[in-house]
Amino acid sequence: MSILSLRGLRKNFGASEIICGVDLDFEAGEKHAIIGPNGAGKSTLFHLVSGKCAPSAGEIRFRGRAIGGLPPYRINRLGIARSFQVSNIFPRLSVYENIRCALFWTSGCGYSFWRLVDGQGALHDRTEQVLERIGLAGKAQVPAGAIAYSEQRALELGMAVAGDAELVLLDEPVAGMSRSEAENAVELIRKVTAGKTLVLVEHDMNIVFDLAERISVLVYGKIIASGTAEQIRADSRVREAYLGEACHA
Amino acid sequence: MSKTLKAKAGLWGGYLAVLLLLPQCFDSLLAISILNQMTIAIIFALSYNMLLGQGGMLSFGHAVYFGLGGFLAVHALLLMERGSASFPIVFIPLLGGLTGLLAGVFVGSFSTRKAGTTFAMISLGIGELVAASSLILARFFGGEAGISGDRTFGPPLFGIEFLRDVEIYYLGAGWTFLATLCMYLFTRTPAGRMANAVRDNPERAEFIGYSARWVRFISFCAAGAFAGIAGGLFALNYEFLTDENLNLATSGRVLLMAYIGGLGFFIGPIIGAVLLTLMNFLLSNYTELWLLYLGIVFVLTVLFLPRGCAGFVMMHESAWRRGTLHLLALPYLLTGLPALLFVLAAVCLAELSHATGPTLHYLGLSLARDSALAWAGPALLAAVGWILTARSLPRLREAWERANAAEPERRT
Repeated sequence: MSILSLRGLRKNFGASEIICGVDLDFEAGEKHAIIGPNGAGKSTLFHLVSGKCAPSAGEIRFRGRAIGGLPPYRINRLGIARSFQVSNIFPRLSVYENIRCALFWTSGCGYSFWRLVDGQGALHDRTEQVLERIGLAGKAQVPAGAIAYSEQRALELGMAVAGDAELVLLDEPVAGMSRSEAENAVELIRKVTAGKTLVLVEHDMNIVFDLAERISVLVYGKIIASGTAEQIRADSRVREAYLGEACHA
Repeated sequence: MSKTLKAKAGLWGGYLAVLLLLPQCFDSLLAISILNQMTIAIIFALSYNMLLGQGGMLSFGHAVYFGLGGFLAVHALLLMERGSASFPIVFIPLLGGLTGLLAGVFVGSFSTRKAGTTFAMISLGIGELVAASSLILARFFGGEAGISGDRTFGPPLFGIEFLRDVEIYYLGAGWTFLATLCMYLFTRTPAGRMANAVRDNPERAEFIGYSARWVRFISFCAAGAFAGIAGGLFALNYEFLTDENLNLATSGRVLLMAYIGGLGFFIGPIIGAVLLTLMNFLLSNYTELWLLYLGIVFVLTVLFLPRGCAGFVMMHESAWRRGTLHLLALPYLLTGLPALLFVLAAVCLAELSHATGPTLHYLGLSLARDSALAWAGPALLAAVGWILTARSLPRLREAWERANAAEPERRT
């Protein structure tokens, strides 16, 4: 059974329709990339699934449950985590605090104001583990706003995967990175999303072909093709609409 | 871990000791009265910082919760006076806190939906609304005259009847310690940590499972409750409340305290509360212009020390750890002395132009307002002070860089 399914999904902002009827299924455990030219609606698709905006029509089901239009925090609690295109962190909190905050909900902390967090060994250990995995253990006490850009991207990724969500959405995780940084980031993504369902939006075709088992092509709000890397490479419509002009690999 | 815990326990022990020993060192009636006002201001300013510093909510109406807590406390005293109720007055601040909490729950239910301008405008509106109603609803608020009670009708606690101000001080110090500790511990809970996260980035908080609104609401209610406790203490101390205690001027003053003390540090509002209470008492005795000076201090803080007094002290942390603090001593002196000269001379000019009598007594001098020398002297000194200060700044800047750049390999 698919973990996430989109049926007849539409989103318009005023008169302009950004997503015009998307039907797509994501299988549990797969690594799925969504590609498409600029303005195709990839980020909007993420916003709809993660709850940043509500669909105008259609259905989003996560493990059989309709989640379209729920607020982001409810969707997150069901097991969907996401990262952002532009680093979206807590700049004045330390790197350690950023990760720990991302762990609060799944550690059962809730909104409690009667329990202290500093003495909680399990929470501390989990935080350290995540920091170790994303390679930021040495910067734990530095304010997140003061670390390097690529480190913020790693932190962003760490916050997305910290809570052990089943479905992880990554929006251009290597945007703005140098080639070697991007390669490290791909390794990191592979490592931290092992065993999870990963959906990513990415422009860099090398990364897409490297990471994804399945690729869907979104053009002007519609999915025009979906399949393995070979199928997509061979698809004439895709070459016409997208790969021929935009592939900079 | 246990080392930092010990250090923290030591810090809190020191805080308690200072609170308890202060009236031993300063035992005049005036000093006790200042100390009483300080304890109230500390709780109030800390509660305000739960909103602005910790939660990113700029409130212009925090006095509402302080005032409502105070009014209810006076009504409780009145009930005891009539004999309809009887409980030790030690618990009066708790009653104020509950009132603040209830008001916070009600207002917070709609005002915490958004932070930023929306929140600020709603707080201003509620502040104005409550202040205006307090004049209209004369039965509860006593109109312009306010209401007064008498704290001595409560049953004595361990033989203490709270007739003297110093007894009220110890009651207030106990509550201040308790409230400070609770507010500090709040910052170390999930709700308190997430308040910081929501302040920094409400959107991201929502994508890690937290409703920004609910996080703000919790902080808001807690802030209301602690402001109410401060209001209850105020009622016990003065036995008298008017609309002035919940109007916008009081809301503005608590903002100033928290800001000047330093929003980013837990201890900041405590420093601000102590400083402003002292300024209020000391300066207002000498000059009618003290609010002008306070305003200038506030503007200068916003411009040059956005992290407040606490931030200014903490700026020197890295130099202190490198052992290079001594490099700054002389440059600070060379800037500070002419700056002091400028301030004293400028204040002299301000007082001269404001004075009503023919002579102004200033720093032991008698200056005749109609003599040109009385004006020219301070003007000249102010100019000299200004120029010397300006000329010393490059040297200070250079010393600062040397103090903070030395031995870069020891940087973490």
